[in-house]
Amino acid sequence: MKFHTLKVIALDKPIKEATTITFDVPSELYNAFNYAPGQHLIIKFMVNGEEARRSYSLNSCPFKEEPLQVTVKRVKDGLVSNFVNDQLKVGDELEVMIPQGRFHAAIEEDAYKTYFLFAAGSGITPIISILKSVLLASPQSAVNLFYGNANQDTIIFKEELETLVKNYPERLTIVHTLSDPKVWTTWETWKGRKGRIDAEAVEWFITNHPPIAQTTEYYICGPGAMNTGIRKTLQELGVPRELIHIEQFGADTSEESNNIKAVDSIVSVSLNGENYKLTVPKGKTILQSLKEANLNPPYSCESGVCATCVAKVKNGKAEMKACMALEDEDIAKGMILTCQSLPTTDELSIEF
Amino acid sequence: MDTKRKMPVLPVEAYTSQEWFDKEQEIIFGNAWQFAGLVEDIKDPGDYITVQCGLQNIVVVKGRDQRIRAFHNLCRHRGTQLLRAVGKKQKALTCPYHDWTYDLSGQLISVPEKEKEFPDLEIDKICLHKASVDIWRGMLWVHPKPNAEAITKWFDGCWERLGPHDPNRLIEYPDSVYEKVINANWKIIAENYIDVYHLSHLHSNTLQMYDHANAEYGFVGDHYLFWEPLSKDYHENLDKLLPFKRIKEMTEEYIGAYVPWLFPNVGLSETEATWSVFHAIPLAPDKTKVIVRTKMEEMTDWEYYKKGIKSYASWHGIMGGDTKYGNEDSDDPMASGDFMAEDVYACEQQQKSLKNPLFSIAATAKHGESTVRTFQGIVERWMSNSIKEG
Ligand SMILES: Cc1cc2nc3c(=O)[nH]c(=O)nc-3n(C[C@H](O)[C@H](O)[C@H](O)COP(=O)(O)OP(=O)(O)OC[C@H]3O[C@@H](n4cnc5c(N)ncnc54)[C@H](O)[C@@H]3O)c2cc1C
Ligand code: FES
Repeated sequence: MKFHTLKVIALDKPIKEATTITFDVPSELYNAFNYAPGQHLIIKFMVNGEEARRSYSLNSCPFKEEPLQVTVKRVKDGLVSNFVNDQLKVGDELEVMIPQGRFHAAIEEDAYKTYFLFAAGSGITPIISILKSVLLASPQSAVNLFYGNANQDTIIFKEELETLVKNYPERLTIVHTLSDPKVWTTWETWKGRKGRIDAEAVEWFITNHPPIAQTTEYYICGPGAMNTGIRKTLQELGVPRELIHIEQFGADTSEESNNIKAVDSIVSVSLNGENYKLTVPKGKTILQSLKEANLNPPYSCESGVCATCVAKVKNGKAEMKACMALEDEDIAKGMILTCQSLPTTDELSIEF
Repeated sequence: MDTKRKMPVLPVEAYTSQEWFDKEQEIIFGNAWQFAGLVEDIKDPGDYITVQCGLQNIVVVKGRDQRIRAFHNLCRHRGTQLLRAVGKKQKALTCPYHDWTYDLSGQLISVPEKEKEFPDLEIDKICLHKASVDIWRGMLWVHPKPNAEAITKWFDGCWERLGPHDPNRLIEYPDSVYEKVINANWKIIAENYIDVYHLSHLHSNTLQMYDHANAEYGFVGDHYLFWEPLSKDYHENLDKLLPFKRIKEMTEEYIGAYVPWLFPNVGLSETEATWSVFHAIPLAPDKTKVIVRTKMEEMTDWEYYKKGIKSYASWHGIMGGDTKYGNEDSDDPMASGDFMAEDVYACEQQQKSLKNPLFSIAATAKHGESTVRTFQGIVERWMSNSIKEG
């Protein structure tokens, strides 16, 4: 897939540690940049002379006359998120792929549905797009949002959400929960819910916000552990799996990627009809090493979402930091996303 | 049978014959969204009610995920009726016959002596037959088909012509349900309701409370919608005369009475002080059970009692209302029961006279004839369409 050059026309700070980028889409690209709420952009950045691709969900609403927007939250030591928050300027140009992603809501004008949305931290971006789209374009449907953050200062889109609740009191319910509310703030002490969106919180939320329209959908976006935790609780309560949609922003860094016992590995690669052999140093992804060796591996998102970089393991083992693009059956067959894979055996053989 | 005698659109036997009745049950009641109760009737996970939809009995149960599901009330084993009437906080649904047990989403989860008696049975492939269920305007609605059209589609165009009431918020007082078996066909009751005259059902002296001359009514799809403003005297003295607390949403912009008949068999009455649902359940060609449930603003018991008495007294004082119900039991300000007596009598008399060979339409076509004719036309269309399809 191809990148298009889009100009940054505004940069805003919804909270101190996040930046909203507004793009100008030239009229000839309008159609190409149509999107469904929940989808994301893959953006190419040049940071310190190095190319890096990252995915960012669109927080703008496709049913509104508004420009494309993504919001990037600062991640500690993160390459791109710090660049966006500290160095990106209005007028800069970025290389952007057209919107994509399977995590999106189908919005039908005459649907009568209840949407349950769960977001934590920067996970609000695709969720607010879905939320606004339902309110605007599916006038008989309702939304219940459960939104978790660390403290009062990290709630992205707080004011915008408050305005929406005022404008749609009968169709929109929002419950905030803070895992670590600040005691001293400009607003008075936190009277809302405390804690993370864990199993008990999900059950509480569902029980206290029963759906009116009985056709329901569940959309979840937050850190990996939260996503799977919410899905598990919903399924235990009886929600069918096919109604639960999850977007994962990246590796479940806290646990999984740290648990991978990566090693230096000699990797044999069959790619574009050629066979290569190269060393992948401990901790580097297979894709990174292939790129550095100028072997032209296929890839696009570099975040475990698009499956462009998929390969099959013939011998040896590799583990993925994150995987949002493969089904369990694919993984069982030995498929890996090379952009997320760290070899865990001294020798590894893969085929693209 | 004498097919020439019409009512005026439907033949007389539509109101008297068992054959017609059975066909209606199958064709109309087996294919329409039907009232099943108020949302609060199944409050907690595992609460269920059962509803008759034409020839089929449907169970409506709330799951732990707070979603409501509807199933045909028959065990997949031998077709025994699975559940009776109503239940609270069930963990699972168990057939009384052989203890086959289903979870709250209708999935079979256990079969006694499975290994021995049903070694090849794939339990996880067996689920109760699904029906459709949804919530609309604080009410539960069921449809016997699993993929019925959306309830909002069925009621397309109705909501905007109804009152500003939020029935979810209003309170149903204990012992306020009115229930009566009326010796008349369900359509006679419907026709009586959509007659302008029906307003007299609502309160003992309501004829003077509303301004019939300025009523607005008509059909939207198969549903009949009716609205009329308050009469001037009543409006000017509303605070004094209101029988109960004024419904909060009933601002001046909306004031009036909204009294639709939702096809096939539910009337609503949404007024400045009450919200009620009038459910006419066909039992036999000449027998219909009517259940009326009424909700109001929350009041203390004393307010409820006092308000009712006060308006009753002042209504008579100011409007000089008639004394038709003057000897009504004043302990019961709802007057649930007696206020419909006149119309029950009218319906039963009409049903009786259908048997009289001298009966002809000249005797019944006086009131609201056009609405009655349209309603009969709708019933006729349903019956003939489905017969053709079937
Ligand atoms: C489909 C999709 C949509 C996304 N949408 C958004 C969005 O709308 N807004 C947004 O801010 N981000 C979003 N992300 C995450 C984003 O793509 C980047 O991963 C993130 O900005 C970090 O990039 P970086 O270069 O700053 O960090 P890197 O230099 O890549 O990583 C630095 C360290 O941070 C860890 N890390 C990476 N991402 C996260 C994270 N999200 N939380 C915690 N630790 C992390 C890494 O594992 C690493 O240890 C999305 C990701 C995907 C896959
Ligand atoms: S490049 Fe998209 S999943 Fe690896």
